[in-house]
Amino acid sequence: MRRWAVIAVAAVATVACGGSSPGEQTTGSTIVLGAPLGLTGSLTKESTLTQQGYNLWLDWINARGGIVVNNVKHPVTIKYYDDTSNANQSAVLMQKLITEDKANFLLGPYGSAATATDAAIAEQNEIPMVEANGAAQSIFNQGYKYTFGVLSPANKYLQGVIDMAATLSPKPTTIAMLSADDNFSLEVAEGVNTYAASKGMNVVLYKKYKNGATNLSAEVQAAKAANADIVLNSGHLQEAIAINKAAKEQKVNAKIFAYSVGPSTPDFITALGKDANYVYGGSQWTPQVKYTPAFYLTVPEYVAAYKAKYPGLGDPDYHVAESTAACLALQRAIEKAGSLDPKKVRDALAALDVTVFFGQVKFDSRGINIYKPMVVEQIQNGAHHTVFPDSVADAKPQYPTPAWDQR
Amino acid sequence: MAAFVQLVILGLLAGGVYVAVGVGFGLVWGVLNIVNLAHGALVIVGGYITWQLFTAFGLDPFLTLPVDAVALFVLGYALQRGVINRIIRAPLLFTFLLTFGVNLVIVNILLLIFGSDFRSVTPTYSGQGFELGGIVIPYVRLASLGAAILLSAGLAFLLSRTRIGLSIHAIAADRDAAQLVGIDLRHAYAVTYGLGAACAGVAGGLIAMIQAITPTAGEPYTLQAFVVVILGGLGRVSATVVGGLAFGLVEAFGQSIPGSGSVFANAIAFGLMVLVLVTRPQGLMGRLR
Repeated sequence: MRRWAVIAVAAVATVACGGSSPGEQTTGSTIVLGAPLGLTGSLTKESTLTQQGYNLWLDWINARGGIVVNNVKHPVTIKYYDDTSNANQSAVLMQKLITEDKANFLLGPYGSAATATDAAIAEQNEIPMVEANGAAQSIFNQGYKYTFGVLSPANKYLQGVIDMAATLSPKPTTIAMLSADDNFSLEVAEGVNTYAASKGMNVVLYKKYKNGATNLSAEVQAAKAANADIVLNSGHLQEAIAINKAAKEQKVNAKIFAYSVGPSTPDFITALGKDANYVYGGSQWTPQVKYTPAFYLTVPEYVAAYKAKYPGLGDPDYHVAESTAACLALQRAIEKAGSLDPKKVRDALAALDVTVFFGQVKFDSRGINIYKPMVVEQIQNGAHHTVFPDSVADAKPQYPTPAWDQR
Repeated sequence: MAAFVQLVILGLLAGGVYVAVGVGFGLVWGVLNIVNLAHGALVIVGGYITWQLFTAFGLDPFLTLPVDAVALFVLGYALQRGVINRIIRAPLLFTFLLTFGVNLVIVNILLLIFGSDFRSVTPTYSGQGFELGGIVIPYVRLASLGAAILLSAGLAFLLSRTRIGLSIHAIAADRDAAQLVGIDLRHAYAVTYGLGAACAGVAGGLIAMIQAITPTAGEPYTLQAFVVVILGGLGRVSATVVGGLAFGLVEAFGQSIPGSGSVFANAIAFGLMVLVLVTRPQGLMGRLR
């Protein structure tokens, strides 16, 4: 008898729900996103920025009730694990997120190394991973169908600097290229080596060093001997700081100093003080860019939202912005797919073409976003300014860089 | 020729840091027979003390070095007395495990306090230097080398001319006999580790001026200290000085190999270490025991 009553109540409830007026949104199941991040270990800094980017979007989407799929609002949670900045551990945790935590979709870890190992897991399980922090093209040349990167690929990182240099007068013509020997950095350097000639520039020195090197004085000495107009470094924050310090010590007076990674972070300026001035950096995004978003926040609104949630940290840097953009791409793809089926969402990601505060998000057949340009930043009087391309710039390049003893 | 001389100078100047990192590591290894995997973490603690004093009080970074030494001595003494002494006679693997654990704890405490931001000490004279016939000599690196040599000389004096130094020598020679003649082993061990940590702290202060530090930045220094001590030879401070300078030179020449040569700078240094181990197991300057 009691059983019949339960069924009757359930039936009434079903009828009641089905009878609600069309267009009114109901709340559906929670969408679980999974992301292993290096919350401890050598990539803590960048991983924390990545997590901030994810969480900014998470707050926003849940404040609106969740992602809307066929008029049903699905709240979102992100399950994080600490991969201790270890790429292999990241892959183990990615698998755990899929099998144990039943993650519907995946967000990328920090860094090309972990993204590469995680992409293999996403592929095996046929669950889409949208990532924002693995720019090495080697990830996307494996024929994977389930990995999508919203950021510009590694080979573009310093091409913007070359493009900018070509517009300056007197035009610099020689380049000394220093590079760490990890996949990502080498791709950045190779990108310069193949691109420079098309802008009438000549790479007169190409020198690789061990990834994570702390003493780079001999490399800088080689750059000085090459007497190049442009000194480029493709490495990481720590190496960029070491090279800038050594360049001053050894009085290397190039017209342009540009580093792939490093100058865009506030740490670069606090660590180097006024010696950080005049340095250029390639950046995925800056708080000054001007894009017209199709949804989510505008650039100034985004900066304000970041400062409200994380006070005292200054402007969001590009790691934060690209991580938020990955969430936006996934959100839009789920909405377009009208389903939580991983294969349908994958197809929607492959077909995605939308502009958000981060720029255009569209993937080529390999899954990387080659459509968004890199911008060039320069540090002027201790502050970041976007100097190239002109359409998004807020300042002119200060060129040429004055000699060290004339600053 | 000028380029060659410049390279030698740069190598020797870089060697100063390796000397500072190596002497403390060598002392602890030689006397306590502990390969101290927490050495790099202690180095970075020193770096953070220098950074903190420099940014908060504008203290000249070289004046903070004694503070580093004292603070790290206290920390090292307490670590050895409270923790490491318990397994001092256990097999080598236990000391590996314990010091590795201590390393993790220190790194993560630093992460909690300072976060993972990169910090660097950049005083006004940072990057400045003088030129001698086209050879550039940066002040900070020259002073670092000087500080490292002074540190080594001070340590050598302490070990050979003071009562505690002699008791350290005694326990290095024979622990049981040292105990028989009335040396308080626990205290002497702790002083030894404290001295090692103090040297690490000074090294950290120097490193904070030359590169950017983050809580995890100490790891490579543990390895480099290991190589430096083996190159020079265990058991004498002067041997570590030679080892450190040699390591700096080898690194500079490795880095100057054109093209991707510098990728192998470490391989060359480690290759040299193997060569030394095969041909002169006691190190370049070490004595057979």
